[in-house]
Amino acid sequence: MQLSPKNTIILEAKGLTRRFGGLVAVNNVSFAVNQHEIFGLIGPNGAGKTTLFNLITALIPFSSGELIYEGKVISQLKPHQIAGLGIARTFQNIRLFGELSALDNVIIARHLHTKSNIVTGILGLPLATREEENSRQKALELLELIGLSDRTEEKAKNFAYGDQRRLEIARALALEPQILLLDEPAAGMNNNEKHQLSEFIRDLRDRLNLTIILIEHHVPLVMGLCDRIAVLHFGQLIALGEPSVVRNDPAVIEAYLGD
Amino acid sequence: MDITLVLQQLLNGLSIGSVYAIFALGYTLVYSILGIINLAHGAIFTLGAYFTYALMGGNFGFSGLLANVVLPVKLPFAISLILSSILAGLVGIIMERIAFQPLRRKGSDPLLTVVSSLGVAVVIVNLIQYLVGAESYTFPADTFGNLPAAINFGTVDKPIPIRSVQLVIFAVSMVIVLILTYFINSTKYGKAMQAIAEDQVTASLLGINTDKFIILTFFISSFLAGLAGSLVASSVSIAGPYFGIGFGLRGLAVIVLGGLGSIPGAVLGGLVIGVIEALVPSEYSGYKDAVAFGILFIMLLVRPQGLLGKKFIQKV
Amino acid sequence: MNDFFSTYGSLIVSMVLGSLVGLSLYLPLMTGQLSLASPGFYALGGYIAAILSTKVFISKSNLFPIHFLLLEMLIAGIISGLLGIAVGIPALRLRGIYLAIATIAFVEVLRVISLNLDITGGAVGIFGIPQPFENQIEYLWIALPLLIISMVLFYRLERIRVGRAFLAIREDELAAGAMGINPTYYKVLAFTLGSILAGMVGAISAHFLNTWNARQGTFDASIIYLTFVLIGGSRSFLGAVLGGMVFTALPEVLRNLADTGGLPDWLSHFLRDGRLIIFGLLIVIGTIFFPQGLVTPDLFKKLTKVKRS
Repeated sequence: MQLSPKNTIILEAKGLTRRFGGLVAVNNVSFAVNQHEIFGLIGPNGAGKTTLFNLITALIPFSSGELIYEGKVISQLKPHQIAGLGIARTFQNIRLFGELSALDNVIIARHLHTKSNIVTGILGLPLATREEENSRQKALELLELIGLSDRTEEKAKNFAYGDQRRLEIARALALEPQILLLDEPAAGMNNNEKHQLSEFIRDLRDRLNLTIILIEHHVPLVMGLCDRIAVLHFGQLIALGEPSVVRNDPAVIEAYLGD
Repeated sequence: MDITLVLQQLLNGLSIGSVYAIFALGYTLVYSILGIINLAHGAIFTLGAYFTYALMGGNFGFSGLLANVVLPVKLPFAISLILSSILAGLVGIIMERIAFQPLRRKGSDPLLTVVSSLGVAVVIVNLIQYLVGAESYTFPADTFGNLPAAINFGTVDKPIPIRSVQLVIFAVSMVIVLILTYFINSTKYGKAMQAIAEDQVTASLLGINTDKFIILTFFISSFLAGLAGSLVASSVSIAGPYFGIGFGLRGLAVIVLGGLGSIPGAVLGGLVIGVIEALVPSEYSGYKDAVAFGILFIMLLVRPQGLLGKKFIQKV
Repeated sequence: MNDFFSTYGSLIVSMVLGSLVGLSLYLPLMTGQLSLASPGFYALGGYIAAILSTKVFISKSNLFPIHFLLLEMLIAGIISGLLGIAVGIPALRLRGIYLAIATIAFVEVLRVISLNLDITGGAVGIFGIPQPFENQIEYLWIALPLLIISMVLFYRLERIRVGRAFLAIREDELAAGAMGINPTYYKVLAFTLGSILAGMVGAISAHFLNTWNARQGTFDASIIYLTFVLIGGSRSFLGAVLGGMVFTALPEVLRNLADTGGLPDWLSHFLRDGRLIIFGLLIVIGTIFFPQGLVTPDLFKKLTKVKRS
């Protein structure tokens, strides 16, 4: 079923700013993301895109501004609480749990959907065992979804780069998030793979009722996939709108020409 | 409280604090260049003391492999001090080449190097014990030649006697601090070291031979440790091969207080802890050792970057 | 057989206790935290047992009643656990070397306090701690079940939700947080469990060694225990167990080797008196050639695979 973006806002940034000493990495950025949208975030290198993700996922604190999720202001939260709200992410530099198996990587992200503590776990009480089995099942399903179900026991660090990226997505999906933040998921892929990834992301959005925010360098991919695009340059939002509009925006063209 | 007593404690505190300072300088230099804490620093401190004792013609007691050995020389304190510190520096270089460089080459976690330095400390201290036994040694009474035993800083009816040895220590330490500060800030070598501390990759791209400077850093650091050890030994005594370990731990407190990687921080931290320790009232003298660690623990919780250090920002 | 037990009984018990101390250090390591705090809790546990058995649980019978020993272990565990939480919560906000230093400082503070209080016997310590057994080897009645139970618990831990959270934090604390795991909670949990175990082992050891003083919690003790885990194997609980046993036995083995004769004089002398030098060298070599320790999870997998085929 093809899902079209609703007109309800699921995530809103108001005046987000982040300063590092004298540098302003993210400068008064405001935008709203609609539910079920595929929202693209582009901009030249160093524009502040990943920093913006880090602000949203509470990895670093805001210098000023507000973040509103499902109508509620969220600030001063810890990263695991953001995950608990239903916001999951992948990382630009891939941060898998290298020494653990692919299966374990995904099972770990089921943490918030399970409850057993150390006592019930070790004793192997029925609740705990059931949860373990459920987590395992769910993880296997996700691994199958991304096409890695034949290598579940292999250490994550031994996977090829492209497979690692997909594994990271599977892990994020295990959180059953409302919003999925993908940081350069197509990095290092060839055109064919990028196309497949694009289809895959759209498919994920449709099947799992997700809202997806996507940082990407490869402009054609973004133009073809996203419902709307925000453009960052030197930490500031210089354009926001549908791909056809953004593509022709003079400020955007200038920013990229200068890159 | 008797003001002259307090002043005396204060001055003594400054003196021991100055030794903490140069000891901590060695620690912090290695930290700023390599990002590791060399826990063998205290062992080199001990070595320096033993070297000086030997060079001054000291007699090693009756246990250990080198029992009753005496060197056929009997050098004056100043020369022994310098020579032994140089020897300590050389040991530092050997230590770096054998234990730390392989780990650096492999790109190992810095924590592994810290653990290795523990191993080096264990080797050095137990080697000392194996060779010369565990007795304590005092430097000969004429170490400082014709200096009077104590100098009066107060007045005739309110005397504040300070042992000359404390003054010598303070003077030597401050001179060293000045020389080092000049070296780091104003010479070509010092600037190169600063560059490496800032960003090792860029520095080597700029043509700076980082390996050479790492060796230089370890030499200076161990020189300082050996020097500190000799100074403390001349003031108190060598209490046995383990007498540097406590110092080594206290040095940790100093650099954390001052700020890891900060040279003025090491000096400031050293003096502050020296003074605070000296001001502990005598009823609680047993707890003196805990003072430094208490400060350390609190600092780590409240302000881990220390008084003058930089805040550590993790890159995502 | 009896002869073997009377000569080596004490060593065997020491080895088992060594393994347990290794395991107590392994717990915070599972979350990637290098904590050198175990010796502090070990010393604390020992003092609690020593004080209780010499001043509170005075027994008229010849042997110290075992149920008192178990009670002491329980009390030592609880107090160590509470102190573990109190120290862990602030300290575990620190990372890497800062945490290691904080734990060193903590142990030193405990040591200085124990040197100065009357109740701990000051520098001399506490003597004449009553014995619950006639022969040293009988301590295995307590130590061995504790070790076996611990090993089973660790085996289970690695396969359940909480254990996976530990390992995730060790692998990448940031990513673990982003996946919904609260790192502080689990780091403190691991730290506290380690402190409880260390405290309990300390309580047993106090009786086993008959005397207890500040030397038990010294910095070089920390280093030795650290070797158990780091060289034994830092990524598998078996490494801690094996490391504890091997490195506790090592000094004895070296001494026996020295005494066997047939060795040149200097070598046997070195093996006997230079044991700690060898220890230190092993640490240095270990970090270079065996950064994950000797018993790695891969090694274990390989060995068990061989068994099956």
